[in-house]
Amino acid sequence: MRSFSSMSLLAGLVGAAGLAGAGVCVAGEADGRTTVNPPPTAQAWADLAKLPDWSGVWFPESWMATTARHPPAWKPAVIRDVDRLKALEQAGHPKGLFVDCLPEGMPSFMIMTIASTEFLFTPGRVTILNEFDGNRQRRIYTDGRGHPDDPDLTFDGHSIGRWEGDTLVVDTVAILPETYLPVSQAVGLPNDGDSHIVERLHLVGPDHLVDEMTIEAPHVLAAPWSVTRNFTRNRERAHDIVEGSCRQGDFVEGKDAQGHAAFLPIGHTEDGAPLPPDPSRPNP
Amino acid sequence: MRDFSRAGVVAILLALAVAGAPAASFAHHSFAMYDPAKLVTLTGTVKDFEWTNPHSRVWLITGGLDGKPEDLWSLELPTSPGNLTRMGWSKHSLKSGDRVAIDINPLRDGRHGGSLKKVTVLATGEVLTTGATPAAPPAK
Repeated sequence: MRSFSSMSLLAGLVGAAGLAGAGVCVAGEADGRTTVNPPPTAQAWADLAKLPDWSGVWFPESWMATTARHPPAWKPAVIRDVDRLKALEQAGHPKGLFVDCLPEGMPSFMIMTIASTEFLFTPGRVTILNEFDGNRQRRIYTDGRGHPDDPDLTFDGHSIGRWEGDTLVVDTVAILPETYLPVSQAVGLPNDGDSHIVERLHLVGPDHLVDEMTIEAPHVLAAPWSVTRNFTRNRERAHDIVEGSCRQGDFVEGKDAQGHAAFLPIGHTEDGAPLPPDPSRPNP
Repeated sequence: MRDFSRAGVVAILLALAVAGAPAASFAHHSFAMYDPAKLVTLTGTVKDFEWTNPHSRVWLITGGLDGKPEDLWSLELPTSPGNLTRMGWSKHSLKSGDRVAIDINPLRDGRHGGSLKKVTVLATGEVLTTGATPAAPPAK
């Protein structure tokens, strides 16, 4: 198992203590086999109405604006790796992010998404949905639990949250070391393990929400990376989340040998761009 | 509108058999393989308009006039049906047989692919673009 930073553990303890002090039932204990999530009470449902109104669908600013405003401070030892990735992107041979349809993971889930996003409040948790590349979701537990002692590592990690007034403070650990820290659409460096992210999400205007992230990745970052992403609320139905899938474009609609509707594979360049059936012909 | 012809499918599968099917999945990819410094206008006929994730796509037939051979192009729109809807597109924006002029950033390696920037439907003069999504917040 990978070790957590002391900051991570402290944040988890503080989060749990804060929620317990607010009268929220702490259901989770070390033995996950016997721990249950209690059914929400009427009061728990009523308490949701006291939270800030994040209803509607939120659309993010350009990721280019986000990353340009907040460049990461890489460790000197990995700068050449980042420069190599940038050169590959400039040459039209992107590597890293967005090449294989794996989940983008944290923090790319919040920094790089370019589609509609929703925040759902239910007792004991906040769920973040977005449309990007497969209708990704994040689950943030606000029931007072801490991080697991031995969490499975995942793309989005394990997130716990607490409310500080109208600000949702989220602590995320247990992120797969292969998950990228993004700097452009095709350039991201793996966090290499022990990544830890603290987010402060809050409204700064009636329809303006910010996610202020502090990202620790001690193996590749020289200092914690502070990034803020802006989201604008939309209530038009055109912004409702629709299905997003990552691999449908690898196929065309056709018929199988039995005459049934079927997705049929097509060819691609080595960098993933779809090609017509005869890719060797030069342009006219 | 959506089905490729059986002959077309056979051609695709044959090409894959010759080239070797890709070992990895690709569909969402960076657009770095398209050259943003080049803007090329293709005039042709829409073979199919695929309203698919993660990038919608136009198959465009060019040539075929004055004894020239036909060429088939794969032109990707830079985003999904969800975002295209927010830009004013729909699955009916283009249909098979439409004569169009399409501005693209072509593949850097010269093969028949491109990133679609603008479509003009020649019969109506309607122009469709793939700009910023409305209601996205400005950079701060």
